[in-house]
Amino acid sequence: MHAGLNHYLTVSVLLFCLGFLGVITRRNLVVIYMGLELMLNAANLALVAFSRFNANLNGQVMVFFTITVAAAEVAVGLALIVALYRKRGTAHVEDLATLKL
Amino acid sequence: MNHSLITTEILVILLGLGVLLADLWIRPESRPALGWLAASLLGCILALSLGALTPHDGSAFGGMYVLDGLARYFKGFFLLAGILVILMTVEFRHRLPVGLSEFFALTLFALAGMLFAASANDFILMFVSLELITVTFFVLNSFQRARLPSLEAGVKYLILGGVASAFMIFGIALIFGSANTTNFSLVAAQQAQLAANPVFLTGLMLVLVGLGFKIAAFPFHLWAPDVYQGSPAPATAFLSVGSKAAGFVLLLRVLFGAVPQITSQWQVLLMVTAAITILYGSLCALPQRNFKRLLGYSSIANAGYLLLGVAAESRTGSSAVLYYLGGYFFTVLAIFTVLCSLSSTIDNDEISALNGLGRRSPFLAAALSIGLVSLAGIPPMVGFFGKFQLLAAVLEAARLAPAFYVLLGVAVVGVVLSLYYYFNVIRAMYWGDAPAGVSLIEVSAPARIALLVCLAGVLYLGIAPGGLLRLADGAVAGLKFSPAHAPSVVTAAH
Repeated sequence: MHAGLNHYLTVSVLLFCLGFLGVITRRNLVVIYMGLELMLNAANLALVAFSRFNANLNGQVMVFFTITVAAAEVAVGLALIVALYRKRGTAHVEDLATLKL
Repeated sequence: MNHSLITTEILVILLGLGVLLADLWIRPESRPALGWLAASLLGCILALSLGALTPHDGSAFGGMYVLDGLARYFKGFFLLAGILVILMTVEFRHRLPVGLSEFFALTLFALAGMLFAASANDFILMFVSLELITVTFFVLNSFQRARLPSLEAGVKYLILGGVASAFMIFGIALIFGSANTTNFSLVAAQQAQLAANPVFLTGLMLVLVGLGFKIAAFPFHLWAPDVYQGSPAPATAFLSVGSKAAGFVLLLRVLFGAVPQITSQWQVLLMVTAAITILYGSLCALPQRNFKRLLGYSSIANAGYLLLGVAAESRTGSSAVLYYLGGYFFTVLAIFTVLCSLSSTIDNDEISALNGLGRRSPFLAAALSIGLVSLAGIPPMVGFFGKFQLLAAVLEAARLAPAFYVLLGVAVVGVVLSLYYYFNVIRAMYWGDAPAGVSLIEVSAPARIALLVCLAGVLYLGIAPGGLLRLADGAVAGLKFSPAHAPSVVTAAH
């Protein structure tokens, strides 16, 4: 069977939904962050697939931008989570309750 | 190609790098002077960018970047905000024991992101400039690493900001797939076909989710109260002025530059979002006891008022948005400058900590009162005239679509509620009992200058709004508003 655009898009949407599900159901900040990365990579897959099937290279160039931005986000994000872990001794979202009414 | 158009952005980035480098050679006690130097150099860039630096409008990088009236208005806005935020940071230095120069540099990098956002005419540049702003704010918000609330604010902004960027990039992927381009002008050229394409509409909706996060509109507002409360005051000020305005300029460009025809079919959606945002922000602000958290909810309510102008989908509405942002800018920065001036003597942000401020520092109390009265929308302050313009645009739209009268009612309810929570703060300052054994509060010269500039802006723009209004009206001349939007609203409402 030949894999067409719709196959790639289905995988991409599934990945995006799985990532989002991970973000909203998981309780550990690092795992939430992995879900976020999954969502970003789902977008990358969609971009590459569209780029291939529409014969327009701009989509592949855009993936480079996304990867760069995601790398910067991960670098800052992990540093923040580590700083929080050192201060608090935990990386669970239930413990992020200092700021409330 | 016309690379000279981005001179302003390049100069700001060079200034940021220069500040980082200079930090290696200067002594720690002269770091505040570095801030004053950066602020004055930024002032030079602002003065140059108004005229000599980029005299002609045009576009660069294959139409990705445009310099037009709208971009110029917001570039001036962002540069002025950058100057005042750096002055504010110098005032706040007692609470930033490490990394004062890095704070200046990060502010400048975020500013560069905002300057690019003001000129974005392509979904890629929009995404990259928004990410430059967001990632910088992850660091700025959690800058007081020793304080748990600040770290917590940073982590919350990180997770919710990350989700918003993921939605936006997925939306851009869908838009790219269905339109085969990411340029706003090229998308606008084929919107008649795209309006019927569900893939494109889904992508556009996801992009709007990302922008909704930036402006803190319901239901993407969840981060605002926590982040406002926990972040250092200068970062909060820049977030509420710069980041929100960057979201709005991109919203205007996408809605009225790329897809005006689809926007006119989505008018009801914008109206509902505006109404819920106003009500949510105003109602949740009522019981707040922490002043910065109160300002967080107030910023949600203000995003709702600004969305009124967007929902009106007219030139009057969009120019009212620009005018309101201009007034909001001076008002919010005045309030945060007062908070920064108090940071060395008062150690928390509770409203009760402001008790008796009227006797301890009449100047700061008066400045804070003027700011709050302007936010509440009382004449002759700029906040009144801004709300007046927005409501006038809503009334104008109501002649075509009667549903706007409901929106008008919601806005008036929001204003009445806001009187209560803003005056609660003023009551604490003048009628609250000052704690025993406290002294007068000294205000430093730079803070005094920054405050006087903001107060002059609040009063002058309120009394003589003509100049800024003409500027705002000229700035939105390039936006396209679908003229025949009345019938589609009627069908959508039924």
